[in-house]
Amino acid sequence: MPTYELALMIRAMPKQELKSTLKRISLVIFDRGGIIRNIENLGLRPMPYKTSAHGVVHREANYFMFKLDTGTQTVADLKEEYSRDVDIIRQRVFKLQDNNNHNCALEEELLPPAYRKEVQKMIEVGKTQVNRFTHKFKYNSGLDYYPFQK
Amino acid sequence: MALLKTLLKHNLNFNLRPIIATKRFLSSATDQKTTDDDAPVDIENPYKKERKQCILCKLNINPDYKNYRLLSQFQSPYTGRIYGRHITGLCKEKQMLVEAEIKKAQNCAYMPYYYKDKTFLNDPKLFDPENPVRSHRF
Repeated sequence: MPTYELALMIRAMPKQELKSTLKRISLVIFDRGGIIRNIENLGLRPMPYKTSAHGVVHREANYFMFKLDTGTQTVADLKEEYSRDVDIIRQRVFKLQDNNNHNCALEEELLPPAYRKEVQKMIEVGKTQVNRFTHKFKYNSGLDYYPFQK
Repeated sequence: MALLKTLLKHNLNFNLRPIIATKRFLSSATDQKTTDDDAPVDIENPYKKERKQCILCKLNINPDYKNYRLLSQFQSPYTGRIYGRHITGLCKEKQMLVEAEIKKAQNCAYMPYYYKDKTFLNDPKLFDPENPVRSHRF
């Protein structure tokens, strides 16, 4: 089961209600055989833009971050379930990526164009193509008529 | 003044003596050894320039959509647009990641689309948008 991150925005509500909402949300995950790795509360804060959900305009939200393991097939089910939840303003699921170290290629990218690998490749490709600007149709094709529309 | 001059002279004499002594010592040492020692030595180029790296690679930072404070530094405070690679000075891969993560953060309502969060306006500047590597179209 891959690890996913579920970013949830829950509408502003009293603490007791929020508790029951979170319980309901996590039960949905458990019902489908998922595991919650951790839940992070990012707090109640004003949203950067107003969002209308279920016929109500929201200007602030409780931000939550769930880290969970579920099957790839059940993610769509979870999304569908949460989209029907009136308390959830917005939900996004991202697959957790492992940060792979790469070598910084800034040195090569800052070289003059003629020394850059990709530019050299482009020139090589260009040499194999017909130059549209200088190419001229040759009439000595062996036909006794002009094959194109004039 | 006179005292100072005499002192200086003394100092000069003191300084000269050891130099001469070392010179003599060196010349005598080279005479004794074989001439192979004087041949050029194979070492790495000491004047080789350090490999250029972008700021995120140098500090080994992976942009993440949850770290929207860092991402907002790559956003224009006037229009909320993401600065290009010619301004940020990032390598291609990191710039691509930053742009992807900013879009994610904006979609998650962590970051605004059309302006920069006013609490982050006084954050340190990582680059100067007025002095891009390549000139602006505008």
